[in-house]
Amino acid sequence: MPAATLVVPACLLVTALLVGPMVYLGRISLNHYDASSMMTEALTLENYVRAVADPYYRGVMATTLTMALVCTTTTLILGFPVAYWIARMQSSWKSLVTVMTLMPLLVGNVVRVAGWVGLLGNQGFVNAGLQGVGLIDEPIRILYTPFAVALGTVAVVLPYMILTLASVIEAIPRNVEEAAANLGAPPATVFSRVVWPLALPGVAAGCTLVFILCMNTFATAVLLGGSQFKMMAPAVYDQFSKGSNWPFGAALAFILLIATLTLTVLGSVLIARRSRRRVAA
Amino acid sequence: MGTLTLDGLVKRYGPSTAVERVDLEVRQGELVSLLGPSGCGKTTTLRMVAGFIEPTAGRILIGGRDVTRAPAYARDTGMVFQSYALFPHMSVAENVGFGLEMRKVGRAERESRVMEALRLVRLDHLAARLPRELSGGQQQRVALARALVVNPAVFLLDEPLSNLDAKLRAEVRLEIRQLQQRLGLTTLFVTHDQDEALAMSDRLVVLAAGKVQQVGSAEDLYERPANAFVAGFVGRCNVLAGALEGPGRFRLEAGAVLPCGPDETGVPSHAARLVALRPERIAIAAGERGEGLPARITAVTYLGAETEYHADLGGTTLLVIRPTPPHGDPLRRLAVEDRVTLQWDPAAARLIAGEAS
Repeated sequence: MPAATLVVPACLLVTALLVGPMVYLGRISLNHYDASSMMTEALTLENYVRAVADPYYRGVMATTLTMALVCTTTTLILGFPVAYWIARMQSSWKSLVTVMTLMPLLVGNVVRVAGWVGLLGNQGFVNAGLQGVGLIDEPIRILYTPFAVALGTVAVVLPYMILTLASVIEAIPRNVEEAAANLGAPPATVFSRVVWPLALPGVAAGCTLVFILCMNTFATAVLLGGSQFKMMAPAVYDQFSKGSNWPFGAALAFILLIATLTLTVLGSVLIARRSRRRVAA
Repeated sequence: MGTLTLDGLVKRYGPSTAVERVDLEVRQGELVSLLGPSGCGKTTTLRMVAGFIEPTAGRILIGGRDVTRAPAYARDTGMVFQSYALFPHMSVAENVGFGLEMRKVGRAERESRVMEALRLVRLDHLAARLPRELSGGQQQRVALARALVVNPAVFLLDEPLSNLDAKLRAEVRLEIRQLQQRLGLTTLFVTHDQDEALAMSDRLVVLAAGKVQQVGSAEDLYERPANAFVAGFVGRCNVLAGALEGPGRFRLEAGAVLPCGPDETGVPSHAARLVALRPERIAIAAGERGEGLPARITAVTYLGAETEYHADLGGTTLLVIRPTPPHGDPLRRLAVEDRVTLQWDPAAARLIAGEAS
């Protein structure tokens, strides 16, 4: 039996559990919804047209995109220094720090978000603390704001960014930075001319991963954003569970998927072209 | 351009000392090698000069200016790294131009100086290439050009030849030396390879365990080693323990008495001493003669131009290296167990203070 046959079970699993449901979902999204029979067989784009035309769902899409872009950028800015620090660590603390970076992922999403609720609520730790030291008189609203969602999301995705960046930065030889310093480059220039361009593939990979995760934020958006705040993934869920409008929910799901893929591919191509141009110059 | 002065330079890592009080002055246009086995502190010393490691104590002066606390980018040193450390995302020309760009040299002047530097290392035809498209030797020359083009006050070479194959190494070694002399660069050169150091340096510093063992010309180190370490590290040497029996007479621990040079060690006459005798300074004759010391051959190794003999002299083995004798010479047929007579100029057997290690 050739070793290649060993990949067959995994391939079958992926096909059965990913491609299958996707095809089914795609088919449903083209069906017609009617309130009495829920769904009738059809080949129509009416669900997509409605999703794009309805200002409410345009708003949900805009919120989702803004949230994903802001969170990805914030995660990159926060994660890069940490990744660099880990990548350049010499001591035996390195593996410990790496494990500590992964700690947030060891806690379930809902458990962690419940923690945020306790921390950020009106009677929560932050407000109690601020009132305790007399900085504020009335509790300030933190929970159920976009800021709370962004905070919660960044906390979840940061480990992915850090570890992806660290593995790429680790591959940049230390003495290349030393050579730049030796030739007269102050630290900021060493970063912009040597470290950053060489880390670009890692930046691309990390941002792609994090952007996809942010676009599909669910529990964090629901629990920290409150009822007024709506992102795409919960909107899809609402259609399936509360509205029982499967065709429209499926269309929303596909719009989310297509938007995520398009932006991810676009971003990767731009970064790849940028690093190729540097190389070709 | 300028001199480089190391004044009582010390580097400690916790309880261990990497570099112990190194004092050194590299004069304008001089090439000084730091030579020693791995872990002797030579690279640490060089990296302190470059500004990558902060000294625990002591001062570093470049052209009279104290740079001990100056950051690496403000020191005006040009370093060539063992692994070249070229910027992989920049072309050869961009690599070489980087230092000029940092010094705010205008574009036109920068381009002409880059090409000039690349011509110097005969790589001007590869200016547009990326480092990974070059061979090891070519990358090495780009690294040289990149360090040279900025006219550094001090030129630093960190084992620049050790990643090259043997044939290329000899070539690049000569090339570096010629460039250094032509441009009059004040140079500190780190190597563990004594041939390299002897061939390239105006002066050498032998380091062991963070301490300077001896500073001098190649000839000083070879002919007048200051201690057993230098005698053993620079070239091959018979270093034998014993005591002075009388003027010019050295008794080995195993019993044999050798003729030796004058005692300049300055230690009490009864103190333990070593004698350092270069293997090529020993003459060998077949059979037992009246003059010289009788010995017995225990090994003969033919190496083409030279032949090595191990000779047992009353329980002590001496290494003897002679040009391979021509056919017909009785020495040519010398074999194990043959009796021979050894002889040398007493001054060649140099007395050194210290005990056998």
